[in-house]
Amino acid sequence: MPVTRLLYPLYQLGNPQLRIFRPSWFLTLVRPGKEQPQDTVQFRIPMEMTKYDVKNYLEKIYNVPVGVVRTRIQFGSNKKRNHLNQKVKQPDYKVAYVQLALGQTFTFPDIFPEKERAPAEGSMEEMQEKFMEDEKQRQKLDPRRGGVTEWFGL
Amino acid sequence: MAASSSTGRVLTLCKQFQNVFRISSATNARQRAVSSAKCQTSLLRGTSPIVTPSWSNPISSAGQYRALHTTISRRGLEDFFDSPENWGEANVKSGAPWTAKQLRTKSNEDLHKLWYVLLKEKNMLLTLEQEAKRQRVQMPSPERLRKVERSMIRLETVVKERENALRLLQTGQEKGRPGAWRRNIFGYVYWYRFKEYAIPWYMNRRYKRKRFYTPKFVEPHIRLRIENYLRERARNENLKKRRLAKLQERFPQIKAPAS
Repeated sequence: MPVTRLLYPLYQLGNPQLRIFRPSWFLTLVRPGKEQPQDTVQFRIPMEMTKYDVKNYLEKIYNVPVGVVRTRIQFGSNKKRNHLNQKVKQPDYKVAYVQLALGQTFTFPDIFPEKERAPAEGSMEEMQEKFMEDEKQRQKLDPRRGGVTEWFGL
Repeated sequence: MAASSSTGRVLTLCKQFQNVFRISSATNARQRAVSSAKCQTSLLRGTSPIVTPSWSNPISSAGQYRALHTTISRRGLEDFFDSPENWGEANVKSGAPWTAKQLRTKSNEDLHKLWYVLLKEKNMLLTLEQEAKRQRVQMPSPERLRKVERSMIRLETVVKERENALRLLQTGQEKGRPGAWRRNIFGYVYWYRFKEYAIPWYMNRRYKRKRFYTPKFVEPHIRLRIENYLRERARNENLKKRRLAKLQERFPQIKAPAS
Protein backbone atom coordinates (compact mmCIF):
# COMPACT_ATOMS: atom_id res chain seq x y z
CA MET A 1 0.00 0.00 0.00
CA PRO A 2 1.70 3.21 -1.10
CA VAL A 3 1.29 5.56 1.79
CA THR A 4 3.49 8.59 2.37
CA ARG A 5 7.02 7.87 3.38
CA LEU A 6 7.41 9.40 6.76
CA LEU A 7 10.66 11.06 7.67
CA TYR A 8 11.30 10.48 11.32
CA PRO A 9 13.31 13.06 13.23
CA LEU A 10 16.92 12.23 13.80
CA TYR A 11 17.22 9.97 16.81
CA GLN A 12 19.71 10.91 19.43
CA LEU A 13 20.33 9.01 22.60
CA GLY A 14 17.60 9.68 25.10
CA ASN A 15 15.11 11.09 22.66
CA PRO A 16 11.66 9.54 22.60
CA GLN A 17 10.74 7.24 19.74
CA LEU A 18 8.09 9.27 17.98
CA ARG A 19 7.04 6.62 15.58
CA ILE A 20 3.47 5.74 16.47
CA PHE A 21 1.85 8.75 14.85
CA ARG A 22 -0.56 7.55 12.16
CA PRO A 23 1.68 4.59 11.36
CA SER A 24 1.34 2.55 8.21
CA TRP A 25 2.63 -0.61 9.80
CA PHE A 26 0.48 -3.68 9.79
CA LEU A 27 0.95 -6.57 12.15
CA THR A 28 -0.30 -10.06 11.54
CA LEU A 29 -0.98 -12.22 14.52
CA VAL A 30 -0.06 -15.76 13.56
CA ARG A 31 -0.52 -19.12 15.17
CA PRO A 32 2.93 -20.16 16.37
CA GLY A 33 4.40 -23.02 14.41
CA LYS A 34 6.41 -24.32 17.32
CA GLU A 35 4.78 -24.39 20.69
CA GLN A 36 5.36 -21.22 22.66
CA PRO A 37 4.94 -20.39 26.32
CA GLN A 38 1.45 -19.40 27.41
CA ASP A 39 2.23 -15.69 27.55
CA THR A 40 3.93 -15.39 24.19
CA VAL A 41 2.23 -14.03 21.12
CA GLN A 42 3.76 -14.35 17.69
CA PHE A 43 3.47 -11.60 15.09
CA ARG A 44 4.66 -11.00 11.59
CA ILE A 45 5.81 -7.42 11.40
CA PRO A 46 7.21 -5.18 8.69
CA MET A 47 10.97 -5.30 8.25
CA GLU A 48 11.63 -1.72 9.31
CA MET A 49 9.84 -2.10 12.63
CA THR A 50 12.02 -2.46 15.71
CA LYS A 51 11.37 -4.07 19.06
CA TYR A 52 10.60 -0.71 20.59
CA ASP A 53 8.20 0.07 17.80
CA VAL A 54 6.35 -3.19 18.40
CA LYS A 55 6.14 -2.44 22.08
CA ASN A 56 4.88 1.08 21.53
CA TYR A 57 2.48 -0.04 18.84
CA LEU A 58 0.85 -2.69 20.99
CA GLU A 59 0.76 -0.56 24.10
CA LYS A 60 -0.52 2.62 22.51
CA ILE A 61 -2.88 1.30 19.86
CA TYR A 62 -4.05 -2.01 21.27
CA ASN A 63 -3.64 -1.24 24.94
CA VAL A 64 -1.88 -4.52 25.59
CA PRO A 65 0.76 -4.56 28.33
CA VAL A 66 3.96 -5.80 26.77
CA GLY A 67 6.82 -7.30 28.70
CA VAL A 68 9.60 -8.29 26.34
CA VAL A 69 9.79 -8.35 22.56
CA ARG A 70 12.15 -10.61 20.65
CA THR A 71 12.51 -10.47 16.91
CA ARG A 72 14.11 -12.47 14.20
CA ILE A 73 14.10 -12.35 10.43
CA GLN A 74 12.66 -15.31 8.59
CA PHE A 75 14.42 -16.13 5.35
CA GLY A 76 11.89 -16.75 2.63
CA SER A 77 12.78 -19.82 0.62
CA ASN A 78 14.40 -19.33 -2.77
CA LYS A 79 14.44 -23.00 -3.61
CA LYS A 80 11.45 -22.94 -5.90
CA ARG A 81 12.03 -22.72 -9.64
CA ASN A 82 9.71 -21.31 -12.23
CA HIS A 83 9.05 -22.65 -15.71
CA LEU A 84 12.24 -20.99 -17.00
CA ASN A 85 14.22 -22.75 -14.27
CA GLN A 86 14.92 -19.44 -12.54
CA LYS A 87 14.94 -19.23 -8.78
CA VAL A 88 11.81 -17.75 -7.26
CA LYS A 89 12.24 -15.99 -3.96
CA GLN A 90 9.55 -15.93 -1.32
CA PRO A 91 9.67 -12.60 0.50
CA ASP A 92 11.46 -12.43 3.82
CA TYR A 93 9.58 -11.25 6.84
CA LYS A 94 10.28 -10.32 10.42
CA VAL A 95 8.82 -12.31 13.25
CA ALA A 96 8.24 -10.82 16.69
CA TYR A 97 7.66 -12.84 19.81
CA VAL A 98 5.88 -10.66 22.31
CA GLN A 99 5.77 -11.68 25.93
CA LEU A 100 2.82 -10.19 27.71
CA ALA A 101 3.26 -8.51 31.04
CA LEU A 102 1.17 -8.79 34.20
CA GLY A 103 0.81 -12.55 33.97
CA GLN A 104 -1.51 -12.54 31.02
CA THR A 105 -1.93 -15.50 28.75
CA PHE A 106 -2.99 -15.84 25.18
CA THR A 107 -3.96 -18.82 23.10
CA PHE A 108 -4.78 -18.53 19.46
CA PRO A 109 -8.52 -19.10 19.06
CA ASP A 110 -10.03 -21.37 16.46
CA ILE A 111 -11.43 -18.83 14.03
CA PHE A 112 -12.69 -21.35 11.51
CA PRO A 113 -14.97 -23.57 13.59
CA GLU A 114 -17.09 -26.16 11.79
CA LYS A 115 -20.55 -24.71 11.45
CA GLU A 116 -23.72 -26.54 10.44
CA ARG A 117 -24.59 -25.16 7.08
CA ALA A 118 -27.83 -26.17 5.41
CA PRO A 119 -27.49 -25.85 1.63
CA ALA A 120 -29.91 -23.45 0.03
CA GLU A 121 -33.25 -24.77 -1.23
CA GLY A 122 -33.10 -25.89 -4.85
CA SER A 123 -29.38 -25.29 -5.17
CA MET A 124 -26.87 -27.49 -6.97
CA GLU A 125 -25.35 -28.68 -3.73
CA GLU A 126 -28.63 -29.92 -2.35
CA MET A 127 -29.45 -31.87 -5.51
CA GLN A 128 -26.02 -33.43 -5.46
CA GLU A 129 -26.44 -34.49 -1.87
CA LYS A 130 -29.83 -36.04 -2.58
CA PHE A 131 -28.45 -37.90 -5.55
CA MET A 132 -25.55 -39.26 -3.53
CA GLU A 133 -27.89 -40.51 -0.81
CA ASP A 134 -30.08 -42.22 -3.37
CA GLU A 135 -27.10 -43.94 -4.94
CA LYS A 136 -25.91 -45.15 -1.56
CA GLN A 137 -29.31 -46.67 -0.90
CA ARG A 138 -29.17 -48.48 -4.20
CA GLN A 139 -25.68 -49.83 -3.68
CA LYS A 140 -26.66 -51.48 -0.39
CA LEU A 141 -26.94 -55.26 -0.39
CA ASP A 142 -30.20 -57.09 0.23
CA PRO A 143 -30.61 -57.23 4.01
CA ARG A 144 -32.41 -60.59 3.80
CA ARG A 145 -29.24 -62.29 2.59
CA GLY A 146 -27.56 -61.63 5.90
CA GLY A 147 -24.31 -60.26 4.50
CA VAL A 148 -23.71 -63.14 2.09
CA THR A 149 -22.09 -61.92 -1.13
CA GLU A 150 -24.09 -61.64 -4.34
CA TRP A 151 -22.22 -64.20 -6.36
CA PHE A 152 -22.74 -66.93 -3.74
CA GLY A 153 -25.93 -68.95 -3.97
CA LEU A 154 -28.21 -70.73 -6.36
CA MET B 1 -30.97 24.40 17.80
CA ALA B 2 -27.36 23.72 18.52
CA ALA B 3 -28.22 20.49 20.32
CA SER B 4 -30.34 19.24 17.43
CA SER B 5 -27.56 20.00 14.93
CA SER B 6 -25.01 18.17 17.05
CA THR B 7 -27.30 15.12 17.30
CA GLY B 8 -27.66 15.18 13.52
CA ARG B 9 -23.92 15.28 13.12
CA VAL B 10 -23.50 12.40 15.51
CA LEU B 11 -26.11 10.37 13.67
CA THR B 12 -24.49 10.92 10.30
CA LEU B 13 -21.10 10.06 11.74
CA CYS B 14 -22.46 6.86 13.17
CA LYS B 15 -23.99 5.99 9.85
CA GLN B 16 -20.59 6.40 8.27
CA PHE B 17 -19.05 4.11 10.82
CA GLN B 18 -21.76 1.62 10.05
CA ASN B 19 -20.84 1.78 6.40
CA VAL B 20 -17.45 0.26 6.96
CA PHE B 21 -17.91 -1.74 10.10
CA ARG B 22 -20.56 -3.99 11.30
CA ILE B 23 -22.50 -2.43 14.08
CA SER B 24 -22.12 -4.35 17.23
CA SER B 25 -24.81 -3.35 19.60
CA ALA B 26 -24.51 -3.44 23.32
CA THR B 27 -26.00 -6.92 23.54
CA ASN B 28 -23.48 -8.22 21.03
CA ALA B 29 -20.76 -6.67 23.08
CA ARG B 30 -21.88 -8.59 26.13
CA GLN B 31 -22.00 -11.82 24.14
CA ARG B 32 -18.56 -11.18 22.80
CA ALA B 33 -17.17 -10.58 26.25
CA VAL B 34 -18.60 -13.92 27.39
CA SER B 35 -17.29 -15.83 24.40
CA SER B 36 -13.91 -14.19 24.62
CA ALA B 37 -13.63 -15.39 28.18
CA LYS B 38 -14.33 -18.83 26.78
CA CYS B 39 -11.40 -18.72 24.42
CA GLN B 40 -9.06 -18.07 27.32
CA THR B 41 -7.83 -14.67 26.28
CA SER B 42 -7.70 -13.20 29.69
CA LEU B 43 -6.44 -9.78 28.86
CA LEU B 44 -6.22 -6.71 30.88
CA ARG B 45 -9.34 -4.62 30.98
CA GLY B 46 -9.61 -1.28 32.65
CA THR B 47 -6.52 -0.14 34.48
CA SER B 48 -3.73 0.33 32.03
CA PRO B 49 -0.76 2.52 32.79
CA ILE B 50 -0.40 3.51 29.16
CA VAL B 51 -2.37 6.02 27.19
CA THR B 52 -5.92 5.00 26.45
CA PRO B 53 -6.50 4.31 22.77
CA SER B 54 -7.04 7.50 20.92
CA TRP B 55 -10.24 6.33 19.30
CA SER B 56 -11.96 5.13 22.45
CA ASN B 57 -14.28 8.09 22.16
CA PRO B 58 -15.01 8.55 18.47
CA ILE B 59 -17.03 11.71 18.94
CA SER B 60 -15.29 13.97 21.33
CA SER B 61 -17.90 16.68 21.13
CA ALA B 62 -20.64 14.32 22.17
CA GLY B 63 -19.62 12.70 25.41
CA GLN B 64 -23.22 12.19 26.42
CA TYR B 65 -24.05 9.94 23.45
CA ARG B 66 -22.11 6.98 24.73
CA ALA B 67 -24.93 4.59 23.83
CA LEU B 68 -24.10 5.13 20.15
CA HIS B 69 -20.67 3.54 20.36
CA THR B 70 -20.03 1.11 17.60
CA THR B 71 -17.11 -0.82 19.06
CA ILE B 72 -15.92 -1.66 22.51
CA SER B 73 -13.08 0.59 23.36
CA ARG B 74 -10.79 -1.94 25.03
CA ARG B 75 -10.46 -5.43 23.71
CA GLY B 76 -6.71 -5.87 23.62
CA LEU B 77 -5.44 -8.68 21.49
CA GLU B 78 -8.97 -9.75 20.59
CA ASP B 79 -8.93 -6.80 18.20
CA PHE B 80 -6.78 -8.96 15.97
CA PHE B 81 -9.76 -11.24 15.40
CA ASP B 82 -13.16 -10.72 13.97
CA SER B 83 -16.11 -10.70 16.33
CA PRO B 84 -16.86 -14.28 17.36
CA GLU B 85 -20.28 -14.38 15.68
CA ASN B 86 -18.47 -14.06 12.34
CA TRP B 87 -16.16 -17.00 12.96
CA GLY B 88 -16.71 -19.81 10.53
CA GLU B 89 -19.07 -17.81 8.30
CA ALA B 90 -18.59 -18.18 4.56
CA ASN B 91 -18.99 -14.47 3.90
CA VAL B 92 -19.21 -11.45 6.12
CA LYS B 93 -21.17 -8.40 5.16
CA SER B 94 -19.33 -5.12 4.81
CA GLY B 95 -20.13 -1.68 3.50
CA ALA B 96 -18.50 0.48 0.89
CA PRO B 97 -15.07 2.04 1.43
CA TRP B 98 -14.89 5.66 2.50
CA THR B 99 -14.82 8.09 -0.35
CA ALA B 100 -12.55 11.12 -0.38
CA LYS B 101 -15.62 13.31 -0.55
CA GLN B 102 -16.96 11.86 2.68
CA LEU B 103 -13.59 12.14 4.35
CA ARG B 104 -13.18 15.79 3.39
CA THR B 105 -16.16 16.67 5.57
CA LYS B 106 -14.48 15.27 8.68
CA SER B 107 -12.28 17.12 11.09
CA ASN B 108 -8.62 16.33 11.51
CA GLU B 109 -9.28 14.65 14.81
CA ASP B 110 -11.93 12.38 13.34
CA LEU B 111 -9.63 11.43 10.49
CA HIS B 112 -6.91 10.58 12.94
CA LYS B 113 -9.25 8.35 14.90
CA LEU B 114 -10.57 6.75 11.76
CA TRP B 115 -7.01 5.92 10.72
CA TYR B 116 -6.57 3.79 13.81
CA VAL B 117 -9.93 2.13 13.29
CA LEU B 118 -8.93 1.22 9.74
CA LEU B 119 -5.50 0.11 10.89
CA LYS B 120 -7.02 -2.29 13.38
CA GLU B 121 -9.46 -3.57 10.81
CA LYS B 122 -6.66 -4.21 8.37
CA ASN B 123 -4.58 -5.99 10.98
CA MET B 124 -7.58 -8.15 11.75
CA LEU B 125 -8.07 -8.98 8.08
CA LEU B 126 -4.39 -9.78 7.58
CA THR B 127 -4.51 -12.11 10.55
CA LEU B 128 -7.60 -13.77 9.15
CA GLU B 129 -6.00 -14.14 5.73
CA GLN B 130 -2.86 -15.68 7.15
CA GLU B 131 -4.81 -18.13 9.28
CA ALA B 132 -6.97 -19.07 6.29
CA LYS B 133 -3.85 -19.69 4.24
CA ARG B 134 -2.42 -21.82 6.99
CA GLN B 135 -5.52 -23.94 7.37
CA ARG B 136 -6.01 -24.05 3.59
CA VAL B 137 -9.55 -22.73 3.68
CA GLN B 138 -11.03 -19.81 1.85
CA MET B 139 -10.86 -16.46 3.54
CA PRO B 140 -14.34 -15.13 4.23
CA SER B 141 -15.00 -12.02 2.13
CA PRO B 142 -11.47 -11.16 1.00
CA GLU B 143 -12.76 -8.02 -0.73
CA ARG B 144 -12.77 -6.33 2.67
CA LEU B 145 -8.99 -5.99 2.54
CA ARG B 146 -9.17 -4.03 -0.66
CA LYS B 147 -11.88 -1.81 0.74
CA VAL B 148 -9.90 -0.97 3.84
CA GLU B 149 -6.82 -0.26 1.78
CA ARG B 150 -8.73 2.08 -0.46
CA SER B 151 -10.19 3.96 2.46
CA MET B 152 -6.72 4.31 3.96
CA ILE B 153 -5.24 5.64 0.75
CA ARG B 154 -8.06 8.15 0.44
CA LEU B 155 -7.67 9.23 4.02
CA GLU B 156 -3.99 9.73 3.38
CA THR B 157 -4.68 11.89 0.35
CA VAL B 158 -7.13 14.02 2.28
CA VAL B 159 -4.65 14.53 5.10
CA LYS B 160 -1.96 15.40 2.59
CA GLU B 161 -4.21 17.92 0.91
CA ARG B 162 -4.83 19.65 4.21
CA GLU B 163 -1.16 19.66 5.10
CA ASN B 164 -0.29 21.13 1.73
CA ALA B 165 -2.90 23.84 2.02
CA LEU B 166 -1.75 24.76 5.49
CA ARG B 167 1.89 24.82 4.49
CA LEU B 168 1.22 26.97 1.48
CA LEU B 169 -0.72 29.39 3.61
CA GLN B 170 1.77 29.59 6.41
CA THR B 171 5.14 29.33 4.70
CA GLY B 172 4.49 29.35 0.98
CA GLN B 173 6.65 26.25 0.57
CA GLU B 174 5.38 23.87 -2.08
CA LYS B 175 7.13 20.84 -0.68
CA GLY B 176 7.00 19.47 2.80
CA ARG B 177 10.61 18.48 2.79
CA PRO B 178 12.98 21.29 1.86
CA GLY B 179 15.47 20.75 -0.90
CA ALA B 180 17.38 22.39 -3.71
CA TRP B 181 18.41 21.77 -7.29
CA ARG B 182 21.97 20.54 -7.23
CA ARG B 183 24.46 19.50 -9.80
CA ASN B 184 26.37 16.27 -9.46
CA ILE B 185 29.82 15.48 -10.71
CA PHE B 186 28.59 14.28 -14.11
CA GLY B 187 26.76 17.49 -14.81
CA TYR B 188 23.28 16.23 -14.11
CA VAL B 189 20.92 18.51 -12.21
CA TYR B 190 18.67 16.83 -9.68
CA TRP B 191 16.45 17.66 -6.76
CA TYR B 192 18.45 17.19 -3.57
CA ARG B 193 16.29 16.68 -0.50
CA PHE B 194 17.72 18.04 2.72
CA LYS B 195 17.89 15.85 5.75
CA GLU B 196 18.83 16.14 9.37
CA TYR B 197 22.38 15.67 10.54
CA ALA B 198 23.67 15.38 14.05
CA ILE B 199 26.68 17.59 13.38
CA PRO B 200 27.19 20.67 11.20
CA TRP B 201 28.23 20.09 7.63
CA TYR B 202 31.77 21.41 7.96
CA MET B 203 32.48 18.80 10.63
CA ASN B 204 30.79 16.01 8.71
CA ARG B 205 33.52 14.31 6.75
CA ARG B 206 31.23 11.98 4.95
CA TYR B 207 29.07 14.85 3.79
CA LYS B 208 32.10 16.83 2.69
CA ARG B 209 33.19 13.90 0.55
CA LYS B 210 30.12 14.37 -1.63
CA ARG B 211 30.67 16.62 -4.63
CA PHE B 212 27.84 18.85 -5.67
CA TYR B 213 29.68 20.53 -8.52
CA THR B 214 30.85 19.65 -12.00
CA PRO B 215 34.56 19.90 -12.72
CA LYS B 216 35.79 21.78 -15.76
CA PHE B 217 37.08 18.70 -17.52
CA VAL B 218 33.60 17.15 -17.58
CA GLU B 219 32.29 19.90 -19.85
CA PRO B 220 33.36 18.28 -23.14
CA HIS B 221 31.62 15.12 -22.03
CA ILE B 222 28.44 17.01 -21.30
CA ARG B 223 28.67 18.47 -24.80
CA LEU B 224 29.13 15.00 -26.20
CA ARG B 225 26.17 13.76 -24.24
CA ILE B 226 23.96 16.50 -25.57
CA GLU B 227 25.22 15.85 -29.07
CA ASN B 228 24.48 12.18 -28.74
CA TYR B 229 21.01 12.90 -27.54
CA LEU B 230 20.30 15.30 -30.37
CA ARG B 231 21.62 12.86 -32.95
CA GLU B 232 19.48 10.08 -31.56
CA ARG B 233 16.42 12.29 -31.65
CA ALA B 234 17.07 13.46 -35.20
CA ARG B 235 17.68 9.91 -36.30
CA ASN B 236 14.41 8.70 -34.86
CA GLU B 237 12.53 11.54 -36.48
CA ASN B 238 14.14 10.86 -39.84
CA LEU B 239 13.32 7.20 -39.58
CA LYS B 240 9.72 7.98 -38.85
CA LYS B 241 9.51 10.39 -41.75
CA ARG B 242 11.07 7.93 -44.15
CA ARG B 243 8.76 5.16 -43.06
CA LEU B 244 5.77 7.40 -43.63
CA ALA B 245 7.02 8.41 -47.07
CA LYS B 246 7.41 4.79 -48.03
CA LEU B 247 3.90 4.04 -46.88
CA GLN B 248 2.60 7.01 -48.82
CA GLU B 249 4.27 5.69 -51.91
CA ARG B 250 2.71 2.27 -51.56
CA PHE B 251 -0.73 3.38 -50.43
CA PRO B 252 -1.36 6.84 -51.89
CA GLN B 253 -4.82 7.16 -50.33
CA ILE B 254 -3.47 6.71 -46.74
CA LYS B 255 -4.18 9.48 -44.30
CA ALA B 256 -1.19 11.22 -42.78
CA PRO B 257 -1.21 10.71 -38.99
CA ALA B 258 -1.76 13.86 -37.05
CA SER B 259 1.30 14.66 -34.98
